[in-house]
Amino acid sequence: MEQVTYRLGCDIGGTFTDFVLVNNITGEFHTNKCLTTPSDPSDAIEQGIRELAQILPGFMDNVEEIIHGTTLVINAIIERKGARTGLITTKGFRDILELGREKRYDAYDIFSEYPEPIVPRADRAEIDERLTFDGRVLKNVDTNEVLKVLEKFKKDGIESIAVCFINSYENSVNEKKIKEIIEKEAPELFLSTSFEVLPEIKEYERTCTTAVNAYVKPITFWYLNKLITRLGTIGFDGKFFIMLSSGGITSIETAKNFPVRIIESGPTAAVIASQHYGQMFNIADMFCFDMGGTTAKSCLIQDGHAGLVSTFEVGRVQRFQKGSGLPIQVPVVDLMEIGAGGGSIAKISSLGLLQVGPESAGADPGPACYKQGGDNPTVTDADLVLGYLDPDFFLGGTMALDIELSKKAIQEKIARPLGTTMVEAAFGIHDLINETMASAAKTHIAEKGGNPNIVTVSAFGGAGPVHTYGLAKKIGAGSILVPPLAGVGSALGFFTAPVAFDLSRSHRKVLDEADFKGIELLFNELEQESAKILEGAQSGDEIIFERTLLMRFVGQGAEIDLGIELKDFTMFSKDEIRTMFDEEYKRLYGRTSVESPVEFVTFKVRASLPKKPFSISKLSTQNRNLETCIKGERQAFSVIKKEYIPFTVYDRSKLFADAQFNGPAIIEERESTIVIGEDAKAKVDDYGFIWIKIVKSGGPIKSDIGQVGGYK
Amino acid sequence: MNKNNSKFDPITLEILWKRLVSIVDESDASVIRTAFSSLLRDAHDYTCMFTDSRGQELVQGTLCTPGQAGAMALGMKKIVNSIPLEDYNEGDVFIINDPWLLAGHLNDVCVWSPIFFKGRPVAFTACVFHHTDIGGRTASDNRDVYAEGLYIPLTKLYDAGRLNESLVNMIRWNVRTATEFDGDIRSQVAANHICSQKIIEMMEDEGLDTLDDLADEIIDRTEISMRKAIEKITDGTYAHSGIIEGAGNKPDIPIKLTVKVDGSNIHVDFDGTSQQVDWGVNVVYNFTYAYVFMAIKSAFDPGIPINEGAIRPISMTAPEGTIVNCTFPAAVAARMVVGHFMTEMVFNALAKAAPDNIIAGSGGTPAQTNIFHGSFANGKPWHTMIIRGGGMGASSRFDGHHCAIFPANGANTPVEILESDTTMIVESRSLIQDSGGPGKQRGGIGRQMVIRSPDDGDNSPGTTSIAVQAGRYIYPPDGIFGGKDGSKAKYLKNGKNADPSGLTFCDPGDRISFISAGGGGYGDPFERDPEAVERDVQYGYVSIKKAKQDYGVIIEPDSLKLDLTATLQLRENK
Repeated sequence: MEQVTYRLGCDIGGTFTDFVLVNNITGEFHTNKCLTTPSDPSDAIEQGIRELAQILPGFMDNVEEIIHGTTLVINAIIERKGARTGLITTKGFRDILELGREKRYDAYDIFSEYPEPIVPRADRAEIDERLTFDGRVLKNVDTNEVLKVLEKFKKDGIESIAVCFINSYENSVNEKKIKEIIEKEAPELFLSTSFEVLPEIKEYERTCTTAVNAYVKPITFWYLNKLITRLGTIGFDGKFFIMLSSGGITSIETAKNFPVRIIESGPTAAVIASQHYGQMFNIADMFCFDMGGTTAKSCLIQDGHAGLVSTFEVGRVQRFQKGSGLPIQVPVVDLMEIGAGGGSIAKISSLGLLQVGPESAGADPGPACYKQGGDNPTVTDADLVLGYLDPDFFLGGTMALDIELSKKAIQEKIARPLGTTMVEAAFGIHDLINETMASAAKTHIAEKGGNPNIVTVSAFGGAGPVHTYGLAKKIGAGSILVPPLAGVGSALGFFTAPVAFDLSRSHRKVLDEADFKGIELLFNELEQESAKILEGAQSGDEIIFERTLLMRFVGQGAEIDLGIELKDFTMFSKDEIRTMFDEEYKRLYGRTSVESPVEFVTFKVRASLPKKPFSISKLSTQNRNLETCIKGERQAFSVIKKEYIPFTVYDRSKLFADAQFNGPAIIEERESTIVIGEDAKAKVDDYGFIWIKIVKSGGPIKSDIGQVGGYK
Repeated sequence: MNKNNSKFDPITLEILWKRLVSIVDESDASVIRTAFSSLLRDAHDYTCMFTDSRGQELVQGTLCTPGQAGAMALGMKKIVNSIPLEDYNEGDVFIINDPWLLAGHLNDVCVWSPIFFKGRPVAFTACVFHHTDIGGRTASDNRDVYAEGLYIPLTKLYDAGRLNESLVNMIRWNVRTATEFDGDIRSQVAANHICSQKIIEMMEDEGLDTLDDLADEIIDRTEISMRKAIEKITDGTYAHSGIIEGAGNKPDIPIKLTVKVDGSNIHVDFDGTSQQVDWGVNVVYNFTYAYVFMAIKSAFDPGIPINEGAIRPISMTAPEGTIVNCTFPAAVAARMVVGHFMTEMVFNALAKAAPDNIIAGSGGTPAQTNIFHGSFANGKPWHTMIIRGGGMGASSRFDGHHCAIFPANGANTPVEILESDTTMIVESRSLIQDSGGPGKQRGGIGRQMVIRSPDDGDNSPGTTSIAVQAGRYIYPPDGIFGGKDGSKAKYLKNGKNADPSGLTFCDPGDRISFISAGGGGYGDPFERDPEAVERDVQYGYVSIKKAKQDYGVIIEPDSLKLDLTATLQLRENK
């Protein structure tokens, strides 16, 4: 008999640490969930593994890989619990971090607060060095000046240093020089240089990214070292990978050097899972929807690919308000996050209208029905009153909910002041949070040039499957996919992510004046560097390289991504590149301007290893009797009739391949509940995915901006 | 107000309202994909909105710019009602950039259309984009609007779906960047089209025949909220006189206003304000109103969405022919140099009545704009524009934010982008010690930028010319309630004062310093928490000398620690 091997996915979230163990031969899963232990997150990991070992004794000896995602880094930034960091900049620029881009993120709010710079002014030092925009050295680094700075830093108790010089993305010579000096004179200090973190143009974003990297480097280093040692003592000797915000996975060494790249590791996983399903089922337009306790995250996936963006924000002082956080310039999956979750609180706004979110009751005190003293009505309370949730089967029955407390909170805080019935108020809360998510979804999809009417919505998260039906109706989407283990789906995404790393470098050059030989050399350097990083993670496999050009019209502020064929860059003619640019620009924006000059801004390389096969076990074909899957019937609220009607309740674990039934239906599983209205029907496939079709939904798209405006 | 016979319950109303906002935001988002020029795509210098069938503003884009948005609320009502409802055809698209009807200068071009449902217009969708070029002579010292570019009166771009090609051709020949202009106009048509489609879809879904009932509800509720906020201000007539400096040799511009608070109404009157002038800083009524409105909304009800209801309680009068209600054909291209001050003027007038709602003077009023023209060593020309802020004024709650453009908004250009676009080298961009106006709450710190034209011998670039549209060189941002003024702005060439009104020429080896003003302080600086002053000194915001002089706080020079005993003694003997 073949030796059984496993892969273990382990995702530390804000409230829970999720585990998914997959049997590499049969494709069978085991899951576990335990409370996160913020003071030392590795406690929860060890505990969760020990619990799994009670079901599968000794499995750790056969675990080939552990793939890990963690909120450790993002929490350290939000709570400002990182290391005391010193920043070294070019002379004249120590205030870069404080000046930012000088934009007020809320035009009408004169009392807006702004995030404190991650390095206070007193810990920022300047060095008299300088490069020109094209990388010529105007002034070298003077060793004595550096020594003086180091002396002050050591005296002040600095633990980690960030270096970012003006124009260093074009030439790393001065940053390399200072790195040499620091490594020699202060080897005990952690160091991050902007050239290594990400050599991209725009000094504020690059400095901020480098400073944040430095800020979280020590804490990540100690945590990962400890975790690896602990796992060793409980029998693990396989490979260990960390999820990156870009959707790839990487080695522990890379994560220690570039912790800023693992900030969004958790939210990304659901997108990666969706991407995998999109490819597996050949769905051209997929909308990944992941709704948890405090936030809803979503992402449009076109042709099996989620977009990557090069900047995102962390630590927003005004939650969900763009521009109120610190910009981080590393590749990250392009997902949209809003303050809408099961814990979102309903209240009356200053306009006398219902308002739901973005404030959340969190896990403590949580929704009113949690019986932990919370008296604010939340989305979960409304879902309970509407009959979508079973008070006796929340988290598989491990947590009993009190529906009377929900009713009381909704009655007192919403229905009475608005003069509506309690049920109207409950449905208002449910419907309004769906409207909020739908309008965010529509804007996100519009920005990406997609069409909400043709997407398949894939549902994840504890609250996702409860709200997906309502959301889909509002955006006009007709199909929904609920994958197995949707409530912990995120951790499943880990198994579908390739070992990959993205590197990029800015080098601004007008196409007509560009030296293609030099660009080929630049690509070669990026490929060698990224290959080195991959080999650290896993050697032997053949590395796949992908090259991307970031180009724009001269003078424009935003670039378009142009994936190019992997061949010697000098084999391209300038005309070919220009034609490719115009075609892509036209595809994205409906037209181009052939007479305007274009320029290169940044060059990107993605290096990845072939994806490991990942298969899901098929459902048993034994039971084919739908009656045996029914748990009973319960009254729940119909979105269409606006009254309670009987819903059939199914037990998901009993459903078989090809099972089909019509709404109104509720399908219960341990971590989540799927709600289907009377205008929808469900079908289970061989692997246990539930496909839901909404029969009457929005028609085909009526707007095509490409055809508007007649003139040529 | 029809609160009692409301057709929509509060839950349905919120859901429909949210959907309307999302419709505008969706059309707003499409612009980022379809617009051509970076001023639109990156700086978001455009506003999308729609009105009900009576021209009352119903919703505007969440990301709109205050100047355009406020002016459109007034302007669209007038424009829409200038044509009898029965004269509109399905497929009509109008274009107009009349500064007096819209946002105050020719670059702001409005494209708008009626939205037809069941054969009749039920709403109007409109968007104003700031077009980078509109022809004419690009300068703030033109004597009249004729010199400032192409003037497009109310004209049909499409007549019942048919494009007016002659008009398009005429525009193309009058602007420097025809392709960009063309693309951006198409983007406007597309944004309106999306808005129309989605509104029609919503009316079908919800079984609505008209939007006007819904509009009444939304507008009334907004009005009630705004009125409630205004009612909290003590009734009275509050006056303020201020002076805006003239650039270079131009005379000062006196502004006089009274703000009358009467129950839930606010009336602002500009009687006594300077007559309009013979250079480009004249402001049309709508643009003045926009920044008056900005003041009232930001001070009293910043959270509410903007529509007809938000502007109803706020009225304004200004004598015709004054600089805040200029008459045709006054030059208006640089109207923000005066217009941006309106917010601060209203704050100053209301300071005593609402001390916790306002902020002191800001260094980013007006937005500091510079336009550079130069050439590379090989003779190829380059040009670029930057916008700078200054320290924001302090409030009763907070120190002023360092460096912001207020009441307008914008972002700086990264040094690395500026250097790769031009021949200039930026020597520093940093905060200026002691520039924030001292106060119990300190004004925001101003910042300086020093640029140099490199002297590389034979490889040197050509002469660079610099135009300035800014201010605060003569009159610094005011402190308030005992707070001191922020520092003045300065404009230096090789360390000596340069003239900010005309063009400055910068040759290889020359150094230019752009020093923006610090924000005004709030309250007596001797009441400032000594530990906050200690931190200010440790961070270098305030010098040890000024800590003692302005704040009465003694800081140990070696340790940079607070000497509390000495401080208390000094403050006592003040």
